[in-house]
Amino acid sequence: MTLTKENAEKYLLQMYQIRAFEEQAEKSYMAGKIHGTMHLSIGQEASAVGSISTLEPTDYIIGHHRGHGLTIAKGADLNLMMAEFYGKANGYCRGRGGSMHIADIKGGNLGANGVVGGGLPLAVGIGIGLKMEAENRVLLCFFGDGAASTGAFHESMILAELYQVPVVFVCENNQYAMSFASRDWTTSKKIAAHGEVYGLTSTATDGNNLIEVRDAVQMGVDRARGGGGPSLVVNDTYRWRGHSKSDRNRYRTNEEIEAWKKKDPILKFRKYCKTEKLITDEKAEEIKKKAYADIESARVFAESSPEPDVQTLEEGVYAP
Amino acid sequence: MAVEMIMPKVDMDQETGTVVEWLKTEGQQVTEGEIILVIETDKIAIDVESPGTGILQGISAQPGDVIPIGTVIAYILEEGEELPEGAVKTQAAQASSAPAAQHLEESSRVQATPVAKKMAESHNIDLLTVPATGKGGKVTKKDVQAAIELEKPETSAGDLIASPAARRTARIKGVDLSLVRGTGPGGRIQASDVESFQPLIGTPTAVGVKSGESIPLIGMRRTIAERMTASYQTIPHVQFTVSVDMTKFIQVREDYNKLALERGDGKISVTALLVKLVAMTLSNHPMLNSSLVGDNIVLHQDINIGVAVALEKGLIVPVIKNAAKKGIRAIADETNDLVTRARSDQLSSTDVKGGTFTITNLGPFGIEQFNAIINSPEAAILAVGATQQEVRALPDKAIAIRPVMRFTLSADHRIIDGSVAARFVADLKETLENPILMNY
Amino acid sequence: MREISYLEAVREAMTQEMERDPRVFLIGEDIGEYGGAFQVSYGMLEEFGHERILDTPITELGLTGAATGAALIGMRPIAEIMFMDFTTLASEQLVNQAAKLRYMFGGQSTVPMVLRTPAGSGTGAAEHHSQSFENWFVHVPGLKVAMPSTPYDAKGLLISSIRDNNPVVFIEHKLLYKTKGEVPEEPYEIPLGQADIKREGKDLTIIATAIMVKKSQEAAEQLAQEGIDVEIVDPRTLRPLDTETIVNSVKKTGKVLIVHEAVKTGGFGGELAGVIAESEAFGYLEAPILRLAGREVPIPYNRNLERAAVPQVEDIIEKARQLATLKV
Repeated sequence: MTLTKENAEKYLLQMYQIRAFEEQAEKSYMAGKIHGTMHLSIGQEASAVGSISTLEPTDYIIGHHRGHGLTIAKGADLNLMMAEFYGKANGYCRGRGGSMHIADIKGGNLGANGVVGGGLPLAVGIGIGLKMEAENRVLLCFFGDGAASTGAFHESMILAELYQVPVVFVCENNQYAMSFASRDWTTSKKIAAHGEVYGLTSTATDGNNLIEVRDAVQMGVDRARGGGGPSLVVNDTYRWRGHSKSDRNRYRTNEEIEAWKKKDPILKFRKYCKTEKLITDEKAEEIKKKAYADIESARVFAESSPEPDVQTLEEGVYAP
Repeated sequence: MAVEMIMPKVDMDQETGTVVEWLKTEGQQVTEGEIILVIETDKIAIDVESPGTGILQGISAQPGDVIPIGTVIAYILEEGEELPEGAVKTQAAQASSAPAAQHLEESSRVQATPVAKKMAESHNIDLLTVPATGKGGKVTKKDVQAAIELEKPETSAGDLIASPAARRTARIKGVDLSLVRGTGPGGRIQASDVESFQPLIGTPTAVGVKSGESIPLIGMRRTIAERMTASYQTIPHVQFTVSVDMTKFIQVREDYNKLALERGDGKISVTALLVKLVAMTLSNHPMLNSSLVGDNIVLHQDINIGVAVALEKGLIVPVIKNAAKKGIRAIADETNDLVTRARSDQLSSTDVKGGTFTITNLGPFGIEQFNAIINSPEAAILAVGATQQEVRALPDKAIAIRPVMRFTLSADHRIIDGSVAARFVADLKETLENPILMNY
Repeated sequence: MREISYLEAVREAMTQEMERDPRVFLIGEDIGEYGGAFQVSYGMLEEFGHERILDTPITELGLTGAATGAALIGMRPIAEIMFMDFTTLASEQLVNQAAKLRYMFGGQSTVPMVLRTPAGSGTGAAEHHSQSFENWFVHVPGLKVAMPSTPYDAKGLLISSIRDNNPVVFIEHKLLYKTKGEVPEEPYEIPLGQADIKREGKDLTIIATAIMVKKSQEAAEQLAQEGIDVEIVDPRTLRPLDTETIVNSVKKTGKVLIVHEAVKTGGFGGELAGVIAESEAFGYLEAPILRLAGREVPIPYNRNLERAAVPQVEDIIEKARQLATLKV
């Protein structure tokens, strides 16, 4: 599928917004402004934006714990998102969810998940629902290489194929499940092979190449919309930062991290757009500046937002 | 602009970090992202990158220092730039302790009028819990009163609220919980209420008990047993008996009763008149109206006379309070009321509490005279025998038949010397033989 | 005596038992180079190697089952579940297999394993990383449940748990990991099923577990200044439970406040209240048995909400004061 200039600019902006958001998140965290933990997706921007760029606004995504990028790519309001990250009352989840649980149900984002593989079985059910509703909507279910080792992954593949649900499963293989190297037990190709075994059309991509990711996921989305059932795409990528901020990176070398930084998905995309004469360097810098400004205003919004009222603690456990 | 370098938070539950080593010194050029500091959290060393490009200045944390996260520990300055004023501040560190500070602030923020504050204090009401209706959210006297009302025990007749411990204690001591006033929330009876409950002295009669049966020592019987033993074993009793010519006493009582009949009032009983005269006498003998409490002899202000009343079910001792200050009419009415209620089992615990001197009368059984055991912690008890017609030698050596009663005083010899007791008994005899003295 | 942290006490117990008994090994996620999510097994890979420090991918069910299987043929594995929240994933093997194998095989086998897991809130890790599920496992015959509150107890109870011939769920509290206390260097056992009176007092009994023991101790210090003398009983193991110590304490004080972090409804406090109510201590009660426990919510993210969701020192003080002065 050809890339329009308008879309190219949109994707670049989203990738920069993700990076800026993550950098701001890290700063705020280190300054002690953030309670809890967070998982940054710097380095994985192409996988998020490339995959979700294939969706209509009415389609759904469901995410994993490293979900900031997915949320931005699905078009979240940056202010509400940052406010949630800060645990504020006007955040997406009223300050109850925080970094690991940001959801925007109206916007088609069914939420990040604190449990590895937690979203996979949910995806099957969402797919069943979408099929029953028959409005041609589809779901992208994101998970990581860590989830691919869980029973939930295998059971979900089998059920998804059995019920022919309109779901594209997107595995973001960022090489490490916390400290456990996926190379010790699998590869992106092997994960894709699991999908094949269960009957899903499966592909492995260079997850840092937005165009390649987009094309692969688009095929899955088209198949799902056309009633062709589920498929699996495995995006081979890398997280630059530790698993969480308390990670000491003992399980990997600085050389390895530096080597992957050279495969920066944003720079890769910029280079492509420049070659294809879609975005000039000047325009790209302008987009970058806008992205960082957007995040800065989101920060200001979040920091000036109110804390939740402790009296409301028990609100929302049960539906009326 | 100066870029602040802070002690970073890298762990979820981290509150401080320890400076291990600065890799750059003050005044050196540093680049954003360059590792310039090593810190340690939980024995794990962490490399810290420079947050900006420029000159490292104003290092305020040295190796070994334990610094709260978020605290500014250095600045990255541009060429020629000055350190910000008060550079060595721990501004962000305060942010991390914000919740605690906030709570403290909440507690001290309660505004209340002085009266409300005082009232809350004396009723042990937490002002934080009192909804404020006053100006500017101030807690007013009215608010506190409302709170006190809420805290008040609800007294509902019929229901009996008692702690399991109170019930257990009552079961062991045989106390009827319905007679005990509860001091707990909602009027709940606590074990301490049962402990301090003055049982209505009395005991089940032998009705229905067959010889050969053994009766467990429980309930009121046990209480009496314990108290009698304690009293008899700890108090050295000393006894004084005197026989009293009751002629005038009987005459006075008849006069009173004529008057009562005319006025349609109740009868003045022997007991009522005795109570009045004993109380009057006691008012001149404070030692007899006292208690030995610990190392102190407490002289009671009020003269509260307990009257042992025999019932079919047992024996109880209602108390006529302030008997010395009450008129005979009032004492008579009170005595009648107490006796009536005693017989219909309607005495409350307050009716039997607070006695300072006891009168016990076994005259109706024909007992001529007897020694009673002191109702501790009172100092003395007066045992009243039967009225008997006796031949008496009058002062003029004439011989007459007179109604005579024998009174025996048992006194606590630890605090009452023989002469003190004897003087009281002599006074009492004089008063009883000349009741007119009571109004003298 | 030397002081070490709770975290170090757990590590020392594991290390000493692994040195003593070649059948003991560790299995869990990120327990190798990473040293465990909370650094509990940090350095152990260097000492014992990959043979006995089994780092796994994300496979809670698999690793728990693997530990169970190894135990079934006589090994003494220690499985680590990174957050207690994830014991939900491990439960099938733990509850249906580990707990029951011995009984349903008529006593032919034993399952001498330990499942270690950190519980509790206070780190801001929100709904999926903050829960306290101890009572789920207390409910399963065949499992033992230990919940230490001090470094000393952590070491002694863990050594006993490793040496015990039954599956033991060993629950650590994240906020206690860095607390310090006196711990003997040599190995020692604290019997499972022996409560500890953490503070003697006469006015009321607080029965607390894990971090709530520490909070209750702080509360007791302040209450002492008001003339309220608190006794603190730490059951240390919830199953088996030392009912005797609990009952004796309640008989002494007549007032009992139960404090735990887990949600009140269905929590261990209900079990404790039941044990007290049906014991001879009942007749000594001067007031209702009170429970102070987690609110009826998932643990929220926001710091203030999170704090309000579980008992804090000031909450314990307030409840204990009400109880001591018989305002309840």
